[in-house]
Amino acid sequence: MTNDELIAKLKGIIAPYIQEEAAFTNLNEDTDFVKDLKINSANLVDIILDIEDEFDIRLENDDMEKMLDVKSAMAIVNAKLED
Amino acid sequence: MVGNDIVDIAQAKKDSNWQRPRFLDKLFTEKEKEFILKSEDKFIALWQLWSMKEAAYKLYTQLNPSRFYAPKQFECFVNASIWKVNYKDFTCYVSTKITTDYIISEARLVQHKITSEVLVFKNEDLKIQGQILRDKLSKTIGKRRHIQTKTIEFQKSEFGVPTAHFNSKKINVSLTHHGRFGAFAY
Repeated sequence: MTNDELIAKLKGIIAPYIQEEAAFTNLNEDTDFVKDLKINSANLVDIILDIEDEFDIRLENDDMEKMLDVKSAMAIVNAKLED
Repeated sequence: MVGNDIVDIAQAKKDSNWQRPRFLDKLFTEKEKEFILKSEDKFIALWQLWSMKEAAYKLYTQLNPSRFYAPKQFECFVNASIWKVNYKDFTCYVSTKITTDYIISEARLVQHKITSEVLVFKNEDLKIQGQILRDKLSKTIGKRRHIQTKTIEFQKSEFGVPTAHFNSKKINVSLTHHGRFGAFAY
């Protein structure tokens, strides 16, 4: 999967939880889930569960800790898919 | 120093499906899950614990500037109706108030009563809500300290930790909003 394909998939997963349209339209690797997209911290767990379902992977506590931006989400998914 | 967190009950009902597979496992320890599942109102018990964890995290990051997502590791304990939250070697006391509309928790290093002032927003815009909350907090600080409201400025650190600045002083504050409600404490 290319980076663009991965970002496109993540964008689809994140879409239902965003509260800031402009930052979502310009979503890139540096986009922060909370600071930029204003996603509620209670919904970060939904994003984590949706990522697990979409890629058929399981995230551990260590992975969850870093799940605050697109870049980290990409790194975590890529690492899990390589396992 | 204080960390606070508010949950709009109607908003939480709308935004989250706590019964989806693995939802509880990701956020709560076995003991916390037991507390939730044996509670008469599981939904309220869940968000009560969630707001405690969030409040404790907000206090922790004031003392240890950092940013991460580890709700499960902030463990809630109750003993004789007194709640504490532990994270690694950090421990704090948490007080919670539950109404029919919202749940608010406040974390401090010492035992305390809730001091957070709760606001009801008429506007749904997050930016406007944030502004209203900061304006009200400015007024409160100004009144108590006998200083002009407009001399108070708010800053957020790179970790999202808010502070109020005035007369070359800096104080830690805690702001929270969810759905129709907002609250602040310091």
